[in-house]
Amino acid sequence: MNSRRGSYKDRAAREIRDERPAATVTPIMRKLIADSSAMLERGPADAKSRASAARAYAIDHLDELHSIIEDNFARRDIGYHVATTPADAVRIIRELLGGARRVAKSKTMVGEEVGLTHALREAGIDVLETDIGEYIVDIEGRGPSHITAPALHLNRTRIQEMLQRTGANLPDDDPVRLSRYVRDVVGAFFQDCDAAITGTNVAIASSGRLTIVENEGNVSLGVSHPKLHIAITGYEKIVADEAAALSVLEVLAPSATAQPLTSFTHFLAGPLPGQERHVVFVDNGRSRIARDERYRDVLKCIRCGACMNSCPVYRVAGGLSYGSPYMGPIGAVLSPLLWPGERYADLPQASSLCGRCTEVCPVGIPLHRMLLDLRADAVASGDAGSRREKAGWLAWAEAFRGATRARAVTALGRIALRGTARIIRPHGDGADPRMLPEPGAPHDPSLLATATEPRPVETFIPIAELWPDDPIALFRRRAAALGVTVVDSLEQRPDDRLLTATAAIASTGSVLLTGEHAARRPLLAAARVVVNVDPATIVRFPSHLEAYLGEGDALILTGASRTADIEKQIVKGIHGAEEMVVVLQKNA
Amino acid sequence: MASVALFDPCYMAALNPGDADNARRILEALGDEVTLIDGRCCGQPAFNSGYRGEARTVGRELLRAAQPHATIVVPSGSCGSMIAHFLPTLFAGERRLGAQSIANRFVSFASYVLHHPNSGNLGLKLAGVVAYHDACHGRRELALTADILALLGRVEGLEVRRLAFEEECCGFGGTFSVKLPEISVAMMTAKLNDVAATGAKVLVSGDFSCLAHLDAGARGVGLKLESWTLPELLVRALS
Repeated sequence: MNSRRGSYKDRAAREIRDERPAATVTPIMRKLIADSSAMLERGPADAKSRASAARAYAIDHLDELHSIIEDNFARRDIGYHVATTPADAVRIIRELLGGARRVAKSKTMVGEEVGLTHALREAGIDVLETDIGEYIVDIEGRGPSHITAPALHLNRTRIQEMLQRTGANLPDDDPVRLSRYVRDVVGAFFQDCDAAITGTNVAIASSGRLTIVENEGNVSLGVSHPKLHIAITGYEKIVADEAAALSVLEVLAPSATAQPLTSFTHFLAGPLPGQERHVVFVDNGRSRIARDERYRDVLKCIRCGACMNSCPVYRVAGGLSYGSPYMGPIGAVLSPLLWPGERYADLPQASSLCGRCTEVCPVGIPLHRMLLDLRADAVASGDAGSRREKAGWLAWAEAFRGATRARAVTALGRIALRGTARIIRPHGDGADPRMLPEPGAPHDPSLLATATEPRPVETFIPIAELWPDDPIALFRRRAAALGVTVVDSLEQRPDDRLLTATAAIASTGSVLLTGEHAARRPLLAAARVVVNVDPATIVRFPSHLEAYLGEGDALILTGASRTADIEKQIVKGIHGAEEMVVVLQKNA
Repeated sequence: MASVALFDPCYMAALNPGDADNARRILEALGDEVTLIDGRCCGQPAFNSGYRGEARTVGRELLRAAQPHATIVVPSGSCGSMIAHFLPTLFAGERRLGAQSIANRFVSFASYVLHHPNSGNLGLKLAGVVAYHDACHGRRELALTADILALLGRVEGLEVRRLAFEEECCGFGGTFSVKLPEISVAMMTAKLNDVAATGAKVLVSGDFSCLAHLDAGARGVGLKLESWTLPELLVRALS
């Protein structure tokens, strides 16, 4: 569990002093943000506005969409459940689990929100975190520091030490080795487990399908191996139809990880024969937030993490400083809304109000403006602001009530600062290098002529790549960029898994598998995956895929399974084949 | 000859007392008649801290002083942002509309000078190198970056060096710099490294609040760097 003791200020100061998160996080995020904006720029020009509109519609029609999805779930034999509180969510899931003793859990932020893993373990259930990053932070015991990269705050050496503590025998800290070690532990657990719990990115009302995105393949295992699959998600994580879901997908992975799409994009229909599937929607205050005009837009969030990736405060103080399952700007807005009162009332202070979060948000949430409103709310409710601070602002307002008085106060301030600037520093502990400003200190124009040569700085400007108009040429290039081999004919191997794609996406290099071709078990077991793609079925962008999605189970594959949970270094071939070949040929 | 008001923001009057005169000189060089509005504050410090009643009390004084003027030039990006986007929201109904109509008459110094009909006659000339800090409020709330760079581009002989991570905040954020000093200092240090990498010894920005903060840091760590506002730079380029 996260440490929630003390104030945000204390936690942040402790993290900066003891962990220095910026050293690890800043270079990673600078590169990620540059790559991410390049990826978005090459997508459809209206991607952000469509995603934003799809989410806005959903928030405006929450209850209506839920009544539609409840019917469609019934038709597909998917259990529909709504939990009002975190305790309800835990109770419902425990009932659904029945006698299940071994449970494989993949990453779910709502699971963190309701304290699911902890509660199930208390009840004697053996829960394994199957996402590599979650597995690692579970050992550490401090919770995730990022919503899409839970172990971002840990470097490879720390991770190796932690895994060794659990009995792993690891000769070095190579991320490939560490990732594969966890992969094997998780793979073995799936051979003998009773149930899987996953999150859900988008529940589609009009068809009753669940969209889940993942890179490692642990969700693929979870939805196909155990007899019971339970998805837990927020009450707001619903959209009207497939077009809306595709609009969300078009911005989700580019914003989160600068990927065109994640390796696996599931469109889950009903359960497999002999399997049970349930979805638990957690409200926990979301209906209340939806009724508040000032904050309802926060429910549009698709949990991409772009706001924290771009946030200078997050980079410096790290995700654990927030003491909440939701960190960064979205965490600073969402936490005090989900848990009103004193507990998170100071999180909205964790911002310089630079507005970068609002700028990068792919669904147009005005995060920094919400932070301003939340600050005012906390003062009004008495959850934030000392008596001294209140008195200070009152006195300040009095001073500026008339210009004469204000001029006098300003002049006094100027005189007080002169002379003291050299002696007094704002914070006496020596850690703060800043000196008080010296009003009217003279400037030296000769400095204009003393500039030195600029020092080269690594700036992570992605190479501008011109995309061909021809969808087939573009598909070849994008698939190759993912490490997929694209050929016109192929000599098959006996252990190949041979599939035929329903369609493919040029801009992302993805293939769409539907029906039995989307079956996860044989796909994950294959040594090599070979997919036939008819060039006539290649569309340009994900949003053009709607007509091919059908009614049943569907899976979009975008390169081989992978992880980047250790220092954001990509390791391919986690659960499932490392090698993927696309054969471009007309369907017979 | 146009008549224009010049707002001298409270913190600039306290920390950079010569700047209003610099701005006035530029406006007069453009042929304008200048009325100074001083002893007022836009209310931003209290507003950003969540004290909206106090922000309204103070901001109302500024709006009253601005009311008679058709154009009010504001030389600080963050005050400009407060006035344009937030100050009117502190009032309700008719008063809000009134506040917004006054707020709409505030123009940022760089835009005003750049788009002034006599702008071409200033004859700006200054040899040397400056680094440019793109202040967040100017960049994101007011979209001033292009205007400021265009204005600097008019100064003959001046080389303007951009920062590698121009879009990153300097860590000031008003009371943020005092309430969360450890975070603020870490952000400031990253920004100073970025500035130092340009090799320039003079830093220019459309927002004095960032400059004051970076200046406080540069002096503290012993980095040879001066921070100049746009009016100061332009006045030196006039002669």
